[in-house]
Amino acid sequence: MKLSVDRITKQYKNKIAVDRISFDLTEGVTGLLGANGAGKTTLMRMMSGILTPTGGEISADGIPVQSENYRALLGYLPQDFGYYPEFTAKEFLEYFSALKGIDRKRAKEKTKELLELVGLYDVAGKKIKTFSGGMKQRVGIAQALLNDPRILILDEPTAGLDPKERVRFRTLIEELGKNSIVLLSTHIVSDIEHIADRIIMMKDGALVWQGRQSDVEGDLEEFYLKRYE
Amino acid sequence: MMDRELKNRLADAFHAPEPEKKESFIKNLRPREIGIPEMIITQIPYIRFPIWLFSLLTAAVAMGGAVLGMEDTEFLITVLMPFNAAIAVFEAHRSRRYGMSELEMATRFSLRSVVFARLVILGIVSGIVLATASPVIAASFGRSTLLTAIRILIPYLITMMISLIIERSSLGRTHGYASFVIAGASLALMTWVYNCAPVILAGYEEFISVWGLPAMIILLAMTFAEQWKTVKNVEAFA
Amino acid sequence: MDLEKAYDKIYRYAYFRVKNVTVAEDITQETFLRFFGKSGTFHENDMKYLYTIARNLCIDEYRRLKPDELPEEENEAETAVSFPEEIIIVRDALERLADEEREILLLRYVNEEPVGTICRALGISRFALNRKIKNAEEELKKNLKEDE
Repeated sequence: MKLSVDRITKQYKNKIAVDRISFDLTEGVTGLLGANGAGKTTLMRMMSGILTPTGGEISADGIPVQSENYRALLGYLPQDFGYYPEFTAKEFLEYFSALKGIDRKRAKEKTKELLELVGLYDVAGKKIKTFSGGMKQRVGIAQALLNDPRILILDEPTAGLDPKERVRFRTLIEELGKNSIVLLSTHIVSDIEHIADRIIMMKDGALVWQGRQSDVEGDLEEFYLKRYE
Repeated sequence: MMDRELKNRLADAFHAPEPEKKESFIKNLRPREIGIPEMIITQIPYIRFPIWLFSLLTAAVAMGGAVLGMEDTEFLITVLMPFNAAIAVFEAHRSRRYGMSELEMATRFSLRSVVFARLVILGIVSGIVLATASPVIAASFGRSTLLTAIRILIPYLITMMISLIIERSSLGRTHGYASFVIAGASLALMTWVYNCAPVILAGYEEFISVWGLPAMIILLAMTFAEQWKTVKNVEAFA
Repeated sequence: MDLEKAYDKIYRYAYFRVKNVTVAEDITQETFLRFFGKSGTFHENDMKYLYTIARNLCIDEYRRLKPDELPEEENEAETAVSFPEEIIIVRDALERLADEEREILLLRYVNEEPVGTICRALGISRFALNRKIKNAEEELKKNLKEDE
């Protein structure tokens, strides 16, 4: 599958958040690097079909981004998210299963499978409000995987995870990248250092570099910092 | 290029005998996906209990009051219904209050369907309350069922419309309880009219007996328009 | 696109390669099973992959039979009422085309697949495909004229 981002722009009254960015993604893991405020979240929101671009187009194999068919392919994890206070982890996932059009029987199976995958099976019946930040993030990741997405967009997914959770997460992402298009954003280079095949770097709304990680000479972190000067 | 006729002839020539095991194979292969009506039904259990309770209460007041012959019954119901409207609008925006909007937006059905489902469900519930209360009240007090229903419905619709408009604005976003303020204002206004301005009340009833039906239809259309705008607007990102 | 429609298309394609309902259905189901694996998601753009798999399975089926054996043709009298002369004429005209031309007409005009999908399924370029479509059409029309 090819996810194509074509001259995408988002302009607000007094600021251009994303400035004519173009790139194509296929199966594998792509890291989106940039400081806070670089426009990563805005770009990812547009790629998830939840924010209308001011200009440009995004589509996956010709399916336009703001369509039900596109969303059916998509798994999205925003930087911040809430939950209804009465929800347990299990209920949260079942709620989203319904919104993703998954019927009840399969929803129950998928929920169980994903809770096991993210290591939350034994707290499935506990309320999310009792969870730590890392546990809540893991619920979010599970939610993004409910519909076996072909496109996975993750905005700062490792924030709040402890080192052990981070490692587990990296392994999961590597696995997912084998069959899906994964785009994950971070401002922490080490998160994607070993798992991203491709890197895209943003600064002040513009694309400053894109390419394969193997094209980067030397240390990724140094390369990234240099680009930022 | 091929003309329609030749295409049809080709289709006939290539026609294959019916496959035999299609249905069972597909059923097993693909988990069934759900459609919009079913999606709306799945939203029902997520509407919280106190809301059902309030609707039940409203209906109970109507029944009880009518059976006991309490004169103020119609007034009470007319005053309670706008709160049902406020609750419906308040509940419709629940996603926004708990930071679930972004996640819901990115799903196949999307936040729009959730808001739509909530408005539909609670609209139907209010409709049921109205449909049970009006005949009972009308019968007890020897009045027309239709006109009673319309008299009760109109303040409900006006409250709902104004609440929907305010909730969409930035004022509504910051102060989540706007719709209850509207319902409260409606309560205050109606109480004053009922107790201190019987002339206005009589005028209202007169108006309804002549223009009730067209007024109701117009207000229904306007309310649906506001609901439609609300559903469409949820996608606008702050 | 729903799964049922896709099934019909692949089945129709397989049937006209192997001329046997049971074998065609087996190939159809095997195609879907191979394609899906774990995930249940299916989208319109996947048709090209389905055709590629089905095509290979049909070729495998030919190879499986002894080289001098034709695919077991079904006794048409069992499966259908007598065909109107109309259809017989068209079928005869089709028989006189090359295998690939028949295949292309089926995919393009009966299954109504877009050119991109057919290119992928047959492994040829757009240019070559357009040429072949044109040739197939012309041949067919020529054959029909002769018969009428």
